[in-house]
Amino acid sequence: MDYSVALQIFFSGLNLGSIYTALGLGFFVVYSVTRVLNLAQGEFVMLGGMLTVSFYTMGIPLVPSILLAVVITALAGAGLYRFIIYPARKSSDVTKVFLTLGFAFVIEGIALRVWGWEFRSLPAFFNTPSIQLWEATIFGQTPWVIGVTLLMVVGLFLFFGRTIQGKALRACANEPLGARMMGISIERMALFSFTMAAGLGAVVGTLITPLTMTSYSMGLPLTAKGVLAAFVGGITRAEGVILGGLIFGMIEAITAGLIPGGYHSVIAPAILVLIFLFRCRGILVIAGRG
Amino acid sequence: MTKRLVFILTVAVIVIGGLVSCKGAEPVTSYKIGTLVAQTGNYAGLGLQSLEGMQLIVDKINDGGGINGIPVELVVYDDKSEATEAALAAKKLIEVDRVHVLLTGTTTSLSMSIVPVGNEAEIPTVILTGTSLFDSELGYWVFRPAGAETDYIVTTLNYISQNLDISKYAILIENSGYGQGGKVFLPQVSPSYNMTIVEEQYFDPGATDLTPQLTNIKNSEAEAIYIWGSSPTAAMAIKQAREMGISLPIIVTPPQLDPRLLESFGQYYEMEPSVIAVTAKMDVWEQLPDSDPAKAICREFAELYTAQYGHPAAMWSVFGGQLIQFIEDGLKRSGADPANLEEARMKIRDAFETTTDLDLLVGAYTMSPEDHFGIIPEKTKMTMVTFKDGQVVLLP
Repeated sequence: MDYSVALQIFFSGLNLGSIYTALGLGFFVVYSVTRVLNLAQGEFVMLGGMLTVSFYTMGIPLVPSILLAVVITALAGAGLYRFIIYPARKSSDVTKVFLTLGFAFVIEGIALRVWGWEFRSLPAFFNTPSIQLWEATIFGQTPWVIGVTLLMVVGLFLFFGRTIQGKALRACANEPLGARMMGISIERMALFSFTMAAGLGAVVGTLITPLTMTSYSMGLPLTAKGVLAAFVGGITRAEGVILGGLIFGMIEAITAGLIPGGYHSVIAPAILVLIFLFRCRGILVIAGRG
Repeated sequence: MTKRLVFILTVAVIVIGGLVSCKGAEPVTSYKIGTLVAQTGNYAGLGLQSLEGMQLIVDKINDGGGINGIPVELVVYDDKSEATEAALAAKKLIEVDRVHVLLTGTTTSLSMSIVPVGNEAEIPTVILTGTSLFDSELGYWVFRPAGAETDYIVTTLNYISQNLDISKYAILIENSGYGQGGKVFLPQVSPSYNMTIVEEQYFDPGATDLTPQLTNIKNSEAEAIYIWGSSPTAAMAIKQAREMGISLPIIVTPPQLDPRLLESFGQYYEMEPSVIAVTAKMDVWEQLPDSDPAKAICREFAELYTAQYGHPAAMWSVFGGQLIQFIEDGLKRSGADPANLEEARMKIRDAFETTTDLDLLVGAYTMSPEDHFGIIPEKTKMTMVTFKDGQVVLLP
């Protein structure tokens, strides 16, 4: 194999891997606190992208556009918890998961009414040009995707590991009763996790729009990919989500580059299924440490 | 008291129910065309265009007094860009709306899902697919007066071998029903133009990053890239190729001429050498020489369309219009009585099958029991175009 192909596959895998990692982190934040798989996460990504495009095309500069989009989407996340999940807090986790799915369809329907079916795009952030590196290409947006994903990862580690708020969040997941006895309000923490996940999702949405374009219907496919990435690595640990995202991205890039005849779209998911078979709780999750 | 209320309500339900069913028994006085197009979902862009074209011709027929004095009615359902939804809605059109003709006008997969429904329910069915792959599977009741890959391919290969002097090319094909057409027919037709496919790559609709595939093409001996797809990802492939510094001529198929894609990706379409596309003459009819007989047919439709909607007809509007014109011709010759549903369906089907040298917007058709596609290859209305200053430009 030509080394330029190998290099391009590597860059492509890194690009896709960062996207999937960033997607997966939103699921991780909600799941690790509430044990609810938030199937509306992809909709927050879509909202982030669509809102940024809307503000940007209204003439607002990029950074304020992104900030506005993130704040509005985070409020939507808070709304999902406060008005849908919180009233159903006594229900089983499965019920809550289906409530998030219902919310996803509602958001999709509203987005169709507001923005129509068209695909929308953004230029690469600050019109960063593509770079040619040893006969391989890195798109202008890719460094932004990788950089911001890295920032999100570091930020989350610091937050969960170093701050009282973060430790309180983890306590809710690991020991709900104990956390309550220590005076931590589980409901408040859950509200916080949904808000934060929606905000993170919106950031991902603005990041990927210059690469993938965005439309009202892209939420659920993104949810599917994000959930896969998070579960392959192990959704209960941030390291698992990062590893899962990177593996998923690399597998997609390698199969797209090397498998002839268009079979890559069959083989990439098949590999993920195999990983599930052998490590059904995620690569990083060892029995007893889930 | 409660018992009395229940009694009154029961009587009311029975009476209203009776009135509603009486209404259903009124004699049918129009030809009903049950139509399925994507109004939401991934293919809504194409479906909505198609519907505009259909409605235009239906209005024109009715303004002119209908077909043999009988008006035409379009009964429309949204198939939501999903094959299952299309099949379900088709059943509803046949059984509840009791339509005379079933029509789909969006994509191959959505059309193919109603082929078994049409044949089983014994209703004349007109579908739109961009591929000849399934022409042998249409059955007794289904007709496909549309375009075909061989039309595109012959026109394209003829142009690039003659005008660009290219003999080796790469194909970048979408993993979809639409893509299958290119996958099957390009290798079949290429040898007769002394052309060789030296690299074969595939992408999923909705994919994010096509750089691995494009690098393989870049490293091959290809002198041009033929991108065959119907999703916006195919337009994104052009952008990524140009950003990677690939300066080979790129050829695309008609869905990539969607004005909304041109708006988003125009700058990449126009990068030297600007993208070449194969499309129907309808798209550039104003630029056709007056000697081209297609010009008059196209002009009539285009002017009617712009007058009605205030914007020019897109490719799928033309397909939609053409499908109704095909149905119009059949209805005219069938002499079917719309009130006698079963007999009408049979007569209309027979009329469709005896369509002879019908010159429409995209091509000319002669149907027969063996051929429910029926295109006349010598009368193809495809041409090559390129892009300049935000415009689609006819290539000589």
